Amino acid sequence: MSWAWANRALLAQYTGSHLYLALMPILFGIIVAVPVGVLCVRFRWTWPPILSLTSIFYAMPSLALYLVLIDYTGLTDWTVIIPLTLFSLSVLIPNVVDGLRSVPQPVRQAATAMGFGTLRQIVQVELPLAVPIIIAGLRVATVSSISLVSVGQLIGIGGLGYFFTDGVQRDFPTEIYAALILIVILAFLADGLLVLMRRWLTPWERARGTRRALSATLRGSRAEGAT
Amino acid sequence: MITFESVTKHYPGGTVAVDALDLEIPDGQTMVLVGPSGCGKTTTLRMINRLIEPSEGRILLDGRDISQTEASELRRGIGYVIQQTGLFPHRTIVDNIATVPLLKGWPKAKARDRARELMDLVGLDPAMARRYPYQLSGGQQQRVGVARALAADPPVLLMDEPFSAVDPIVRATLQDELIRLQAELHKTVVLVTHDVEEAIKVGDQVAVFYPHGKIAQIDTPQHLLGAPADDYVENFLGFDRGIRRLAFFPAAGLDLQTGIVLSDGSTVEQGRRAAKQAGESWVLATEAGRLPRGWAALADLESRDGHETLAQVPLAPYGHTFRVGQDSLRAALDATVLSRTGLAVGVDDQGRVVGVTSYERLRAAIQAAEEAADGQGARPS
Repeated sequence: MSWAWANRALLAQYTGSHLYLALMPILFGIIVAVPVGVLCVRFRWTWPPILSLTSIFYAMPSLALYLVLIDYTGLTDWTVIIPLTLFSLSVLIPNVVDGLRSVPQPVRQAATAMGFGTLRQIVQVELPLAVPIIIAGLRVATVSSISLVSVGQLIGIGGLGYFFTDGVQRDFPTEIYAALILIVILAFLADGLLVLMRRWLTPWERARGTRRALSATLRGSRAEGAT
Repeated sequence: MITFESVTKHYPGGTVAVDALDLEIPDGQTMVLVGPSGCGKTTTLRMINRLIEPSEGRILLDGRDISQTEASELRRGIGYVIQQTGLFPHRTIVDNIATVPLLKGWPKAKARDRARELMDLVGLDPAMARRYPYQLSGGQQQRVGVARALAADPPVLLMDEPFSAVDPIVRATLQDELIRLQAELHKTVVLVTHDVEEAIKVGDQVAVFYPHGKIAQIDTPQHLLGAPADDYVENFLGFDRGIRRLAFFPAAGLDLQTGIVLSDGSTVEQGRRAAKQAGESWVLATEAGRLPRGWAALADLESRDGHETLAQVPLAPYGHTFRVGQDSLRAALDATVLSRTGLAVGVDDQGRVVGVTSYERLRAAIQAAEEAADGQGARPS
């Protein structure tokens, strides 16, 4: 504890870079996943190849990708951000697709029959209704991303992962524990914020009880243990 | 006016949903499309707002080919109600109803004011405005669906099995509401149902579909019941169409018997005389204000002292009454069938006795009504 307090400036600096490295991929991921997901639902034939692609992203060892990317992006943040973005896409795209498909057919048909244009219907009807499932995916992607950043330390860009390698080299477990606890706290906080965001974005779900929201979460999560 | 000009819809694989359909739906009327599932009635409906495009032929709305109007533009001018309501779960009731006005670019406040007006029109409590659809019962949701379809005051309203998902009591209420609304609004309503009772109840015109996309008969409900075009239509209408048809003849056409209606202060002797004069074996005793009290049997009156009053005689219950001004011959017949005496009591709006009917009098009224109906049988078709 005293070590952490004495090194709080350093910890804060690495925490900042850790968050940056973890959250930029999520931001890029969601920006790409929403239009791609919409595309997959609109044009059904695009979904099988895109699903295969996301599975490849999911299975790809990130370390191998770092080493390949060094040739192109050098030892910059991008070398970590790009693989993590691909990883986040592997979670987010299927969730956007699931979310859009969860919109009941009569609702979609009624929207069309009311005279919504295609884009307006997606933005005003389908995406809002997909929010619970999309956010369930965001939670998995965010928590995974926060934990995966530390792997980047193997090429020297790993946020709080710095303290892992440093702690091993100096045989000083305290800093390993401190960084570990910080990472877990960051994951919890990010997850909590996303839960709040879902509540704020989906007021109609609130009074309906937890059952539906819970089932949406279960559908959306692959390996979620944070809640 | 909606006009189908030899409209055909076939799907790849050769299924013909609608086969060379010609149909005219006049303004301000309720046209019901009825038939078994798979008969093309829903396809026909959905071609009107271009949810389905015809393979051949064209559809005109007030003389204009609908394929020439941009689809979403066309749809904003046509209300649409479906069985599963299709309400937007993420929007409050008031915003659901305001959907089309908002799409048409009305200011938000004006659209919401209009939505509240419609809640009133369809009989929804204003307190529900800020709730979400799932907080409402099935019947209430369907009212919201109707209000949403009417919000931008479209001249045409399409309803696809709108009341099939609610229980029978709520369904009957919603059907009555539709009839009331339609009497007020005079929309051109096209309603699809598989329920022939519903078709007969709410339709001004009913189009009965054969199973494969052709129309067997288009007629008013009354003529449909009176003169089905063929065996298919007759079977489809069900076995008691003769009695159901009586619902279209007002009970006011009955020549009611008043001679055997006596106040309960009358004597037994007066009762005997009235019954014999009318050739009936019962007299109806009424109490103050001409309210019905019960039946006295002639056989019983014969065995009593002629100076007693009817109030002192044991009376049989008068049973179900019918309202002369509002009910149909069907209600009068029903009351007669249910009556122990074979006579039924017709009352006015205040429940005062107007007169009594018998099977003979019903028969005469039915005959007269049928002759009158056949007289106007040469309708344009």
